Amino acid sequence: MATTTAAVTLSSDLLSDSISVSASSTLMKAGTTADGLDMVDYGVIEIVTGDQFDLLDADNPASSPIAGVMANKANKVYIANHATDETYYVTIMIDAQNVGRLYAGDWMFIPWAAEDANADIEITSTTGTNKIEYALFHQGRTLNAS
Amino acid sequence: MATTCSINITSDIAPGLGSITKDMTLTKAGTLNDLEETTGFSRRKLAATTAVDIITMANELVEPSDNTAAKVYIRNIGDGKGSVDKSTYVTISIGDTGGTPQEVGRLYGGDWLLMPLTVVDDKDVVAAPSTDDAVVLEYIMFYE
Repeated sequence: MATTTAAVTLSSDLLSDSISVSASSTLMKAGTTADGLDMVDYGVIEIVTGDQFDLLDADNPASSPIAGVMANKANKVYIANHATDETYYVTIMIDAQNVGRLYAGDWMFIPWAAEDANADIEITSTTGTNKIEYALFHQGRTLNAS
Repeated sequence: MATTCSINITSDIAPGLGSITKDMTLTKAGTLNDLEETTGFSRRKLAATTAVDIITMANELVEPSDNTAAKVYIRNIGDGKGSVDKSTYVTISIGDTGGTPQEVGRLYGGDWLLMPLTVVDDKDVVAAPSTDDAVVLEYIMFYE
C-alpha cells in the first residue's frame, strides 16, 4: 500500500492562552482503511496576470473514457504560492465559486470532490506573476489512449 | 501576535517525490502584518445528514475585510470519543445552505483541511455528514 501522510501544525497567540494544534492524516482511498491513495500529479507553474486558468481539471481530459473518474472520491490537493512580494496573490475558485486568495507564501490543503465536469480548481493571478506549486493525490486516473 | 501554520506531506507513491514542507505566517492582505482576529477554536457535533453552517459569515462582523487573507482549519475527529471512521465523511462546501453551496470536498475520518476564505456574506462554511452517525468537527477561522 502506498502511504502518504499530511501533517499540519498550527500555532497562534491571538488569544490569552496560546493555541497549538497538530494533526496528521494518512491519505486513504475513499471509504477504505487499508488502501492508500496511490497516484499523484505534481507540478510547479508560473501564473501570469489576467486570464483564469484551470489548475486542475475535474473532467480531465474532457470527453475521454476516464472523464469523471475522480468524482466524489478522496482526492487531496495542495497548492502553495511561492511569490515573494507580499502584495502578490492568486484567487482560487471551484466551479466559478470564489474560495479565497493565496497571498505570497500562503499554502492550502483541501479535499477535492471534483463532483462533476465543472468542478475544476481554477486560478487567477491578479498581481504580478505568481509561481505556484501544486500536488493532487488521487486514486482513479488512467492515461487516455493515444 | 502571530499565527503560523506548517504542512509536511510525505509519500512513497514515487521514489523521487520525497516530501513537501512549507511554513506560513498568516498575514493581512498584501502586507507583512499579522492577522489579528479569530473565531476561536470550536468543536461541533453533527448527527444528521442535513447541511449546516459551521461558520456563518454574516455573524462574524467581518464585512469591512471581505476578500482579504482569511483562512480556516477544519478537522473531522470522528465521533469525539476516540472512534474515527475512515469510511464516512463530512462534505465541506462554501455558500449558503438555502441555496446550492459549492462542494470543496469530503473530509473522511481523521482528515483535515486548511484553506483561504473570502468571508463574504452567504459564502458560509457548510458541513454535511454522509450518515446520521455522530461526527465531530474541530475548526477555527482567522481573518482581518
